[in-house]
Amino acid sequence: MKNKKGAMEFSFGWIFAIIAGIFILSLAIYGVIKFINIERESQDAQTAKDIGVLMNPLESSFESIKRTMITTPSETRIYTNCSNKTFFGTQTIRVSYGEWSAGGTNVYFQNKYVFSENPVEGRSFYLFSRPFELPFKVGDLIYLTSTRDKYCFKDAPDAIEEEIEALRGLEESESENLFLENSIDGCPEGSINVCFNSVSGCKIKVFTNYKYVEKNGKRMYYQDDSLMYAAIFSNKEDYECQIDRLMKRTEQLAQIYEDKSKFILKKTGCNSGLSVSLIQLANDARAVVNSDSIGLIYSLSDDINRQNDYSECNLW
Amino acid sequence: MVNKFGQMKIQQMSFMLLAVFLFFSLVGMIIITVKMSELRNSATELERQNAMLLATKLASSPEFSCGDVYGTPKTDCVDLDKVMMLKENINKYSNFWGSSNIEIMRIYPKNKTITECNSTNYPNCNYIKLLDKSLSGYDASNFVALCRKEKDKGETVTKCEMGKIIIRYEEAK
Repeated sequence: MKNKKGAMEFSFGWIFAIIAGIFILSLAIYGVIKFINIERESQDAQTAKDIGVLMNPLESSFESIKRTMITTPSETRIYTNCSNKTFFGTQTIRVSYGEWSAGGTNVYFQNKYVFSENPVEGRSFYLFSRPFELPFKVGDLIYLTSTRDKYCFKDAPDAIEEEIEALRGLEESESENLFLENSIDGCPEGSINVCFNSVSGCKIKVFTNYKYVEKNGKRMYYQDDSLMYAAIFSNKEDYECQIDRLMKRTEQLAQIYEDKSKFILKKTGCNSGLSVSLIQLANDARAVVNSDSIGLIYSLSDDINRQNDYSECNLW
Repeated sequence: MVNKFGQMKIQQMSFMLLAVFLFFSLVGMIIITVKMSELRNSATELERQNAMLLATKLASSPEFSCGDVYGTPKTDCVDLDKVMMLKENINKYSNFWGSSNIEIMRIYPKNKTITECNSTNYPNCNYIKLLDKSLSGYDASNFVALCRKEKDKGETVTKCEMGKIIIRYEEAK
């Protein structure tokens, strides 16, 4: 009887210790895992914010095009997403290191327009920007590419060739990812071929006469070179969403210029004569929901630009 | 007697476990506090960098830039007439440039008092507050030319003065 009681006491002590030990250990393991995840997420978020901050110098004044390189400490995936639900819409950047999890922290920007594959993967990335004008400057379009993705431009028009040559610089670097060739055979192995006005053997086709880019069987319409690059480097969904965001900003800027026109007329008596056209531009920008109808707004934009150039009091 | 001895052992063990638990909790809390402080510092540093770069590039933003209005294209030139119109529509831009306050101040010709610009006193004022969020923190600034159209002796002329763009940002909490 006594023995049995002793055995009972001993086993209860052990059971208590084991349960408490398991509880403490699992709590510690849970805490450590949570801590590692938070650390990783904070690092991802920090890098995403860093990339966004680094995009600030890409805001151009009157220079046309410039390129910069960012290098990450390890293999990285950069996810860029566009949303047009809020007034100016949002650009989301998310970064993931090593383990390609679906999680990660999104960093939001309202004043950036990034065009890239989704995701872009590598250790080094090129960023270059180009102003988008309609007819006044609306924003800077930022193109993000991995140095691993080689883009080979075949039969590009002279203006595009000159621009790409300017981006490449005088000395060819090992990480160069933009190439100009007259035939596909000259393109680097595994490169993404961008063909101008031809139909075979290319992943991306640009039709300059009809002003559209065909990628993955989908058409993206453009009017100027900044949108052409945007269509080449991004996908249809993001491109259309960014067009919508740009139109929202165009509408708002047209409103500001229209107010400015009235304000200057009242203050100085100097008449730009652009008020009505700017209201029309704002209305047209509101009506553009995708790239198919972008041609209409460009013809109005050209007219407004001419009016502004010959105006007694130009607005931009 | 046996019962009391067993209870003592269990009590000892519970205290020991509690002590171990408290020790590790304390160590964990210290690590979390240090990490949080590091995170806060890096968030503030990122805000500072963002504010600095924003201050240098904001004048190129379409809502601020002079474009070709005042003769040849100019860098770091702010179109004050346009900014005054932006001020009237600023509610739409509340989060457009991130969580920062944007202010523009004329620094030359110098005024003894700071007069905030509104539609009635413009251009006889020297300070424009575009975004007025309740931020307590630091600021970054950049010198710019502040240009506007004015009527002088019956003619419309361009007038440019010296000013600065101030970006106020909040320390991460």
